[in-house]
Parts: sequence; C-alpha cells; structure tokens
Amino acid sequence: MSLTAVTFTTQDYFKKESEKVRARFEDSHNGKAAVRERSDLVDKVTTQLWNSATESAERLEKVCVVALGGYGRQTLFPCSDVDLLFLSASSPSEQAQKQIRKLCQDLWDLHLRVSPTARTLADCSKLHRDNLEFNISLLDCRYLSGDEHLFEQLREQIIPKMVARDAIELMQRLVDLTRARHKKYGHTIFHLEPNIKDCPGGMRDYQVASWLTLVSELEKTGTWPTENVLPMTLRKDCGAALDFLSTVRCFLHYRQGRDLNGLTYELQSEAAAAGIGSAGGSPITPSDWMRGYFRHARSIYRLTVLLDEVPQTRSGLYRFFESRKSRLSNADFSVVDGRVFLRQLSSVEDPSVLFSLFEFVARHGLKLGAETERCAEAELRGTQQRASQYPELWSHFRRILTLPHAGAALRAMHQAGLLVLLFSEFRAIDSLVIRDYYHRYTVDEHSIVAIENLHALRNPDEELDRRFRDVLDGIEKPELLFLALLLHDVGKGLLTDNHVEGSLQAAEKILDRLHLETDDQNTVRFLIGSHLRMSAMVRGRDIFDPQVVQEFCDSVSTTERLKMLTLLTYADIKAVNPEALTPWKAEIIWQLYAASSNYLSRTIDDQRVDAHTSNEEHIKRIVSTASPDVDSGKLISFLEGFPKRYLLTHAPDEIVSHYRMHQRWDGVEPQIDLLKRNGYYEVVLLTLDRPSLFARVAGTLSSWGMNILKAEAFSNKTGTVLDTFRFVDLFRTLDMNPTEKARLKRSLSDSISGEIDVMEMMETKFKPATKVPKVKIQPSIRIDDESSSHSTLIEITAQDRPGLLYDISSNLTELGCNIEVAIIDTQGQSAIDVFYVTQGGGKLNPILRGRMRDALLQQLGRKY
Amino acid sequence: MTKIEAVIQTSKLEAVKTALHDIGVEGMTVLEARGHGRQKGHTEFYRGREYTVDLIPKIKLEMVLADDMVERAVDAIVNAARSGQIGDGKIFLSKVEEAIRIRNQERGNAAL
Repeated sequence: MSLTAVTFTTQDYFKKESEKVRARFEDSHNGKAAVRERSDLVDKVTTQLWNSATESAERLEKVCVVALGGYGRQTLFPCSDVDLLFLSASSPSEQAQKQIRKLCQDLWDLHLRVSPTARTLADCSKLHRDNLEFNISLLDCRYLSGDEHLFEQLREQIIPKMVARDAIELMQRLVDLTRARHKKYGHTIFHLEPNIKDCPGGMRDYQVASWLTLVSELEKTGTWPTENVLPMTLRKDCGAALDFLSTVRCFLHYRQGRDLNGLTYELQSEAAAAGIGSAGGSPITPSDWMRGYFRHARSIYRLTVLLDEVPQTRSGLYRFFESRKSRLSNADFSVVDGRVFLRQLSSVEDPSVLFSLFEFVARHGLKLGAETERCAEAELRGTQQRASQYPELWSHFRRILTLPHAGAALRAMHQAGLLVLLFSEFRAIDSLVIRDYYHRYTVDEHSIVAIENLHALRNPDEELDRRFRDVLDGIEKPELLFLALLLHDVGKGLLTDNHVEGSLQAAEKILDRLHLETDDQNTVRFLIGSHLRMSAMVRGRDIFDPQVVQEFCDSVSTTERLKMLTLLTYADIKAVNPEALTPWKAEIIWQLYAASSNYLSRTIDDQRVDAHTSNEEHIKRIVSTASPDVDSGKLISFLEGFPKRYLLTHAPDEIVSHYRMHQRWDGVEPQIDLLKRNGYYEVVLLTLDRPSLFARVAGTLSSWGMNILKAEAFSNKTGTVLDTFRFVDLFRTLDMNPTEKARLKRSLSDSISGEIDVMEMMETKFKPATKVPKVKIQPSIRIDDESSSHSTLIEITAQDRPGLLYDISSNLTELGCNIEVAIIDTQGQSAIDVFYVTQGGGKLNPILRGRMRDALLQQLGRKY
Repeated sequence: MTKIEAVIQTSKLEAVKTALHDIGVEGMTVLEARGHGRQKGHTEFYRGREYTVDLIPKIKLEMVLADDMVERAVDAIVNAARSGQIGDGKIFLSKVEEAIRIRNQERGNAAL
C-alpha cells in the first residue's frame, strides 16, 4: 500500500471515528469520555502514520514521538492543539526530519491542529525561561511511538532532574503567570460571558493546581506519583466541576468548530436548552444553568489556595512585608502565608467569632484558609437562625462594610453562603446573569465591585479620583452608602418590571432586620431609590442650566445625601465594566456634584421655614414624631424662621428634642446638651443671640483640646440661636472622666455668659498642633454678595488645625460682623467653612469686605 | 455620499438618535467629546478651588449617508438638538469618496 493510499484510508477512518465520538457526545453529553476517546483515536492514527513513515526507512532513527499538554493528559478537546514532541538523543538526521515533516503533514491533512516541537534530551533538561510553557508541557508527557528507551530517559531521569533543580522557579513562574491571567480577568469568576478555560475558576486553574502539586511531589520524592496528587479535600469538590467544564468545552468546540472557549449569551442559551452538564440532562433556564456554571467555577477557583503555598518571587522587602502579616495573628485567628486560619475550628460556632473572622479579612485583606472556609460553610448550614438573628449583626456588618478590604470580606462571606443567609433577599441576585452589552459581571459581583471601587478611592491615581476621595472623606456615615451599594440592584433578581422598586422592597425587610435608626433607613432608601437619578441627569439634562441644578438639589435635599448619591453613581457606573466610567463621564458627574453642592450651601440663608405659608412634609413629620404632650402650634412657632436646611439635616426626633430644650429654657441660662455619638461627641446649645457667641463656643471647645469636625449655627425668627458642634475628644478627657462632661457644660455656659474670658483661656490652656500636616492646603477666601438677599456669604477653605474655627470666628467678631448662619465641615485635612454674615442688619460694605479678606488671609498664614 | 459630523449637547443625544432613526438612519458613531465654540465655558468655585470649565462636555455624532438622505438628516438633527441657546452645537458636512464594508467588500451606498 502506497503512503498516499494509507493517508486516504486514514483520513476516511479518522473522519468516521471522529463523527462517532461526536455522536456519542451529543447523545451522552459526557465530555470526560469524549476527550479520552478523541485522544485514543489520535493516538491510534499518529502511531499508525509514524510507523508507516518509518517502516520504509533505510535505517531506524532514534526518535520518539511524545504527546504533551492536554493531549499528553489524554484530554483532547475537539478543536484543541495536538502537542507533539519529537525527542531525539542528538539533533535529528535529515531522514528523521523528513519523517517528522511527513507525519505532521499527514496529521494536518486530517485537519488536526498539530503543534510539533523537535528537541533533544539535553534541550528537555534545561529550564526555558523564555518558553516556560514547554517545561510545563513536559509534565504531561506520554509515550506514543518510536524509541521507548529515549522516553524512559526523559521521564525517569531528565524531567525529575530538571524539576529537582528548578522546582521553585518553575512554581514561582507558574504562579506569576496565573496571577497575571487572573488580573486580566479582574480576579473574579463572575463574568457574564466567561472564558471557561482562562477565566478564574476555569480549566486552566485546575491544571495549574495539578502542576504545582506534581512539581512539589516530584521534587520531594524524585518519582512520578501514581495517582492524582491534589489534596483529597480539594480533589473531591473539583471532580464534578472538572467533568462539567469538560462537557461544556466539548460542546463549545463542536458548536463553533474552533478552539473558542468563550461562553457567549447565545451559547449559554443553547447549552441550557440542551441540558449540557445539568442533572439528568434536562433543559433549564439560561440563568439557572449559569448559576450551575458559577458553582463549579467556584469549586475550581478554590484550588488557587495552592498558589499561596509557593514561596514568593518578589523582592526581599515584599517577603518581609508578607512575613509581617503573620504578626497580625491574635487569640482567635492565625495568619500564615497571607491566609487566615481559625485557631480553634469549633470557635466559629460563636456568631461573634464568625463575624470577627470576616471583619479580620476586611481589615487586613487576607484570604480564608481552605480549612477555615470549609468550617465556616459547614457551621452556617447548621445555624441559619443564630447568625441572621444575631443582635450585634449591624455593628459587625457596618464595620465590615467600611473597612478597606470590604470587597474581599463580602466575597468570602458570599462564598461561604453567609451573605445569602443573613439577607435571604440577596439570593435573588446570587450569580445572576443579566444580559446586556455593557455589564461584565453578574449582579452580585457588580455590587461588590462597586463597593471596592469606593474603597479604592482612598488611594487615588487621578486628580479627578482625588476629588471624589475628598467627597468620600467628608461623609458622616459611609456604612449607609456601602449598604445601599450592596442592595441597590437586588431588584434585578425579582419578578418586577422596575428593578429599583424591587430593590426598595427587598431593602425594607433587610433594614428592619438590621435595626437601623429611622433616619438611617431613610437614607438607604433614598440612595437605592435614586441610584439611577444622577446618571440620568448627566445623560439627559443640561447640567449647566441653574434650573436643572435646582431641581436636582430639591430632590436630593441635603449636602450629605448629595455626597453619597454622587459616590454611589461613580461606583455603580465604574462597576459595570472597567472601561465604563470614562474620564468624560466622571468629569460630568463631578461637575453636577460641584454645582449642586454650591447651590445647597449658597441658598441656605434665603430658604427659611415659613410655617404659615408652607405645608411641608418635613414639618408634618416633625409634628407627628412629637409625643401628644407637645403643643404642635408652639412647636411650629419654634421652627419659624430657621433655615430649611435645619429641617433637612436633623432627624424629626432630634428637632423635637431641640424644641424641648427651648421649652426648658428660662431665656437667660443657655441650654446645653452633650451627647456621645458613634466616634464623636455632639454639643447642642440653645440661647439668645449675642455678639461673639459662635467664637466663644469654638474657643472653649478648642481650649479643652477638642477637635471640631463639623458645626452649624442657625437662628429662628425670634432670635433664638441653635448651635451644634461635633467634635472628637482627642485626649479622651470625657471618656476617661465622666464628671468632666458636667464641667465642660459649665465651662461653655460661663464662656457664653462672659464669666470666663475665652481669649485668656485660649492663651493659657490651648495647645496648638505640633504635627506637620501631610498635605498642604492653600487657604482661600471667597466673598459672595449675590447668593443671599440680606447676608454676605464667606466661604473659607484652609488647612484644618485645632483652634482654626475660633481664629476665624473671633476675627469675624472683631470686625463687627454677626454670624447669621454657619456651616462648618472638614474633608480630610481641609476645613471648609461657610458663614453668612451681616453688619448692622445688612450686607457688608465693600471696604469691610476688603478688610475682612486681608485679616483672614493674614491669619490663615498666606496672603494672595 | 456625505459625512455628517454633529456636535450636540449631551442632553440632546436621545432626542437626536430618535429623530434620525425615525427618518431611516440606521447607524452612527457616538463619541464623548469636550470642546467649546463661542460658548467659552465659565469659571466655577468649589470648596475653595477655582476651576475653569473651558472645555464643556459634548457629544459628537458621526455618520456617512447617501446624498439624498443628507438634508433630511440635517433637519432631523437641527430640530431635535436646537434649544435656541448658545452651545447647541454645530453640524459639519463633507464629501466622502468611497465606503467599503469590510465583511463582504460591498462598496458605495450599498456599504452604508
């Protein structure tokens, strides 16, 4: 039989047998069997063709044909490359080269994608740093045909020696390549159209884990293990996942006729309809089918725990940093190689330890150890009630949300099943694929990525990100923003036409379970309900039109909500896909934020409560909050003349408590309340307006060593002043000495009445800051005579420091100005103070404005 | 064939797209743009920092149409994008020599 005839017969045979393999696959959907059968078929054909090519040769060449890579593992997918190694002791002769070319040509004629490589034994003994894939493919070598002795040498001597010498480097490079691949896919398995080979949780991850354990075993024993060397605990979970992925990959290759491994929407639908990989092979919905995919991908992704066991290739400094992480270990948890382990596995039965574990992850950005992860999962299956009804749930969860690695912790909680257990509503979006052309991740992953986007602002790369970072720094309760981000798209998994409505309904139950204060609940509701509003504004409205800005501000109400909505919009768009938030979009969002922020701070003075003409919702809510003993008429009279901002920035029960202070007030002695809040103190004082009142309070607090964070000064129609100061007790004076609270209140009262000289107190008691600020803020002053109809607006930005507010306010007093309204804020190291001032009941004249600017600039340390 | 380049207000994109679709324009390229014409921008003051918004966010649309469609498309864009204020944008027309569809090498109007 001539060679041509052999090839023709082989072609015919190969085609028929390949069709049979495919038919069996279409019938059984058994990918594992199909890839083995295909590998056996190619073995048969290759051996036959090689024998034909060599039998007519004049002398027997010492060449061996070896299968490598996936083909070497006997898992040959329908359109995968057939990796062949032609191994020889020395450079192959002309005749051997001819035989190799002939075999390759024949295999190409069978439409096989042959990737041949001809190497000597010496080549195989080296580490190919520029082609590490070759060394790795040798780990899967399998004899096919030719000189058996050569193969024996390769497998028993050359490869074990190469591994023994270069195991560490081989493993390190493998880990580096894997990390680079994971980075390319955003370190998440939750892609809407995943590549089932290369995405995290794909088949490649399984292979990497197998190679790492194989190299480690070969290095240790010098012999090839006889069975799968993956740790038993990991192997059990991965078997089913690998079978599933093998079936899906076969399906993709057969459908597309090419080595394409992307699971597109169309192919997801086809696979789901055909019941590919599903139990019993029954058709299911594409969403459910994808949930099955993610479950399997999650099992495979767990194998990446093995990556951490490989010593780092990084610098000595990096290794030093990594080893320092082990010092984070405490009584409950130990840290080894960047993973957290429970010291006592049973301790996870205590919900406080369980939550602390994830809090630990959120604080330090570590991953859970495999055993710890399994324990947490097992514990959760048995204690559904305990964790979800744990009374300290919100206090733990809010800390997790606000810690720098919240994304990692939430992902770990989700993986362990804790998120769904705590918030059963979250199950609706668990691994949920919503098909559109823009989103890259599943809905749950999108929400977590959005939270990560906000935390990433703390280390901004771009100037624009720095601006958003400053906004984030100024938020009082960032946990509410993060909670809203986590829940904003839950409605996408519910049967509703409007996902925003759905998210709001789902959030109701969660907010109840978390026992959030009413005002905080309203904030979360507002953010979820408005999460598309700002992007709709920048897309569909002219944001440079003052009318548009005013309408937007009316819907947002307060600066605090504006800040949160801006950041939510930023993070939400950015989490659609890495390119979704273009600099153009970020700029336009920021411009709407800046215009709205300016609008809100410049209209405070003119927008005042007029109880006779306004029938506001806010006033009704305040009246309904008050107990029956409160005279609603008197309450409304008290509110008369306050800026509307006062109603918007205080909860109804706070306003009622202010009214009660007013009721207690004898008109002489100032009413002072001192409250401990979460992380700061708040002093509220109510008295008659008098010169330098604001400066006296600011000075007293500063001389006590308090760092003022925020302040407000408002007055109503009758001239009653309500000042609120929020401050941090830097030296823990009030915490350590409860009796000092009464003394501070006395001190405030005496300074307001003039019995204590605040200036003298500042000179004797006040200790200025000694630390050099990390960021230098240039002071600036803007005087605006247009925004208010009867006051002059002064906006001051300066480096924040103890005593600053006293300096500014006492300066204004010395110039004879009366502070009508004050809004004091800090963002990072900037102090942003807005004062509405009058002199003699009217706006400041140009001469006084000039003097004021000069005096303030001189005091702030720089004159422009 | 004529290439239409239209710079419009961001807020007018949906209206212009709908108007073009209504007269049978099937494809266009939408670009995020920044720029200014006689609407020179303005100065904003935020948190103590003065910043000049001299390049205003705009949308740029590009499409190549058969010559008999051009006037209708221009009318559609003008009607949908016009507010009468400075900053409504501009439309530029230029002749195109040839169009080729990459998939099947169709040329001329058939490729549009």
